[in-house]
Amino acid sequence: MQQYQNMVFSTAMRLLANQTDAEDIAQETFLRAYEHFDEIRQSPTAGGWLKRVATNLCLNHLSRYRARWSFFSDLLGSQHEADSEPIEFAAPDDLSEKLEIADRHEVVEHALQKLPTAQRVSLVLYHLEGLRYEEIAAKLNVSLGKVKTDIFRAREALRKKLRARLAEDVVT
Amino acid sequence: MNSEYQKNLEARIDRALKALPDLPAPRHLLPQVMQKIARLNSLPWYQQPWQAWPVALRATTLAFLLASCGGLCIACWQLTRAAGFAAATQEIAQTFSGITAIWNTVNVLLTALVLVLKHFGTAFIIGCCAAFAFGYAICVGLGTACVRLAYSRR
Repeated sequence: MQQYQNMVFSTAMRLLANQTDAEDIAQETFLRAYEHFDEIRQSPTAGGWLKRVATNLCLNHLSRYRARWSFFSDLLGSQHEADSEPIEFAAPDDLSEKLEIADRHEVVEHALQKLPTAQRVSLVLYHLEGLRYEEIAAKLNVSLGKVKTDIFRAREALRKKLRARLAEDVVT
Repeated sequence: MNSEYQKNLEARIDRALKALPDLPAPRHLLPQVMQKIARLNSLPWYQQPWQAWPVALRATTLAFLLASCGGLCIACWQLTRAAGFAAATQEIAQTFSGITAIWNTVNVLLTALVLVLKHFGTAFIIGCCAAFAFGYAICVGLGTACVRLAYSRR
């Protein structure tokens, strides 16, 4: 349990962006693991099992508030489109150089947690959980187009947040 | 949208996210889980979920449930073949005859209502709905005005 606690907590924290909820989900995950202790004790894929359970519990938790967050996501999305600006073509090494200056991980983590829920969840499932667009759409019960749009917006938002945050850090 | 740009962005975000180390779990997480497990274990077996019961007890209860279910099915079947069954069902039907009468009356009334509506035509129905909506809107409006008035005097 000690070996996996950080992994389980991180999975929950990145999907929920809420410390209390993430702790509850982590606890629930370990209690489920205890119930299936005989099955997973010797399993080499115990880590994967725990991660999958934590992810599913997070998605269940989020689906309870889904109507709320999808509404706000759409609202923010349309607002975003309304004042959409031409996309900047960042120089390839610009971001990575700045990331080396600042405390990279903390900045990325902070920026990730500040993303709107719909965007953050899709982004985390795609990049960190390794799910395909179709799988994410099925898990979240949304259209494939929405998943792609959310992930694209999330990447853009993340890039902008990181640039802004790193610029601040460099100035101060 | 420039696909080269998108690929580039995807690759860089992917690298940045995958490079993230695990977040440290709060120190109280493990003790809390252990506490909950201890509490679960301290419960007597009959308060624990059925899956956690001893195998012998699980097998016994399962056999008991299956036997009860089978016994109930056989009892029902035997009951239908009993001598007094027809008389009993007739008596029950007589007890609920009042409900049948009510249902028949409601049915006749609804049929009559449908015939009346058909006679007056669609325009009449739309007019009725509009009048109802108008009346409802007036009630809401008046209610809102009264509440505002009441609160403004405070």
